[in-house]
Amino acid sequence: MIVSHFMKKKVVSIGAKATIQEAAAKFVKQHVGELPVVDDEKKPIGIVNLRDMLSLELPDFVRFVEDVDFVHDFGAVETTRPTADLLVRPITVLMQPVIPVDENCGLLRAYALMLQHNLLDMPVVNKAGKLVGIVSRVDIGTAILALWPGVESKKS
Amino acid sequence: MMVPTILTSIIFLATLWLIFSEKLDRTITGIAGAVLMVGLGKLFGFYSEVEAIKAVDFNTLGLLLGMMILVALLEPTGFFQYLAVLAGRLSKGHPVRLLVLLGAITTVLSMFLDNVTTVVLIAPVTILISEILGVDPVPYLITEALLSNTGGVATLVGDPPNVLIGSAANLSFDDFLIHSLPIVVVAWIVVLFLLRYLFRNELAVKPRNSRAVMKLNPAEALEDRKMAQRVLIVLGAAILVFFFHSRLHLSPSFVALSAAAAALLWVRPNMREMLQRVEWNVLLFFAALFVMVGGLEAAGVLEIIVKALEHVSVIPPVLFGVALIWIIGILSAFVDNVPITIAMIPVIQGLGASGVNIDPLWWALVFGAGFGGNGTIIGSTANIVVVTLSEKTRTPITAKLWNRIGFPAMFSACAVSSILYVLVYPLL
Repeated sequence: MIVSHFMKKKVVSIGAKATIQEAAAKFVKQHVGELPVVDDEKKPIGIVNLRDMLSLELPDFVRFVEDVDFVHDFGAVETTRPTADLLVRPITVLMQPVIPVDENCGLLRAYALMLQHNLLDMPVVNKAGKLVGIVSRVDIGTAILALWPGVESKKS
Repeated sequence: MMVPTILTSIIFLATLWLIFSEKLDRTITGIAGAVLMVGLGKLFGFYSEVEAIKAVDFNTLGLLLGMMILVALLEPTGFFQYLAVLAGRLSKGHPVRLLVLLGAITTVLSMFLDNVTTVVLIAPVTILISEILGVDPVPYLITEALLSNTGGVATLVGDPPNVLIGSAANLSFDDFLIHSLPIVVVAWIVVLFLLRYLFRNELAVKPRNSRAVMKLNPAEALEDRKMAQRVLIVLGAAILVFFFHSRLHLSPSFVALSAAAAALLWVRPNMREMLQRVEWNVLLFFAALFVMVGGLEAAGVLEIIVKALEHVSVIPPVLFGVALIWIIGILSAFVDNVPITIAMIPVIQGLGASGVNIDPLWWALVFGAGFGGNGTIIGSTANIVVVTLSEKTRTPITAKLWNRIGFPAMFSACAVSSILYVLVYPLL
């Protein structure tokens, strides 16, 4: 049971030279939660997720307040949009380090890596290090559950 | 006695250099330096383990530990958050009113509680409120740090240097209220007006949304009302007893530790979690510095310094005090004021033994060490906290911006305290 059997082969990625605005457009158009950032040879150099993008709308300080129960209206934050000069900056400023997984990696090892690094998606690479797919926690998790006795036959 | 004098001085200066240059964690440096000092003392026979333990001022450590436990109990209740949200509502979204309210709350809290904890808990809510209003959080954050540093100078328990000086000079809680508080109140008002002026452009910006701030609910910000009430009752009682502690022949550390014990008995928190919020590294650092200064004293280094300073008695004592405010103030702007204070205490005591009237000098040390911390970002931990938090916002505070605001604030507080020091000198 290896990762490449369960990954999505049609993977949406973005080039390292793209701007934040271009990345946002891609998130919206493709309706995805994460975008691997690749170099000219299609090798992943990082990953951007929706949370990193949204930190421009609602900065990280919210996490320093013990809880936000007492805030019922975010007031001016609701209408604050990232400025034009911020949007033309390269996407690499928001990028996180990527943890790619080899296409021949076993399912449990991939799941263990996801747990440890708290990931929702992992880019899958071939021997040459090129991006060949993306696998989510749901892809891996359901593939493992399907191995449980009697689960596959009850699927219908 | 020449070799030990030179060696202990080298150890002490090397330790100070490591602490000030921040090349190594200050507590690690302190412990290593203290052990070296005792080792040297045993080798040359001028200092021993027993004397090292005697050199530790347990009155200072006990007072700090007691107050740290009370703060550690108050921290998770959401009380600080409650006050900041209340300030936001009461300001009705008016920038200057918000600045004064948040500044005043931070000051009053830091007069009795640790400045750093106060700022750590108030600053995130401040950023949230300014984001909701649609204004720049920078003026509010800098004001909170500067006013909490300034307010802490007013009381015996407000600032670690005060605890140290109070213990060494046997100054009581009301000595601080009589001698320090009035001068601090004047300095505080001057600094507030200065901030109002320096931030005049930022504060003139009309908030984009001042209605949303009225929808904040302080009651929801208070996470554990019962626990907050209990800790505040104990804290209030402790402050009340502080007023009379010298007449009751109780040491400040006994009062603080009794309050901590009472609060612990009443609240019965999860001890492991509570103890994690106590700043053990600070207590260890203090203990290590005490051991080192004890070594310097035993090796005769301080005697040499005091001899060298004997000619200062030809300078008018008033001028000497004013000079002390500025020298300690400028030093404290760039380096940690705790080692400076611990090193200055035996020097002043030595001057006292040689016949100088040192009572006013203690107050000069209090003002210099306290107000100096405003000058630069690294001058106090509260400054570092707000700057670090501001990096998570749209407008991070730069060193250049800090110096434009903090340096005039430090200068005016030192100037005000110098003028008042000269005027009320006969009373000090």
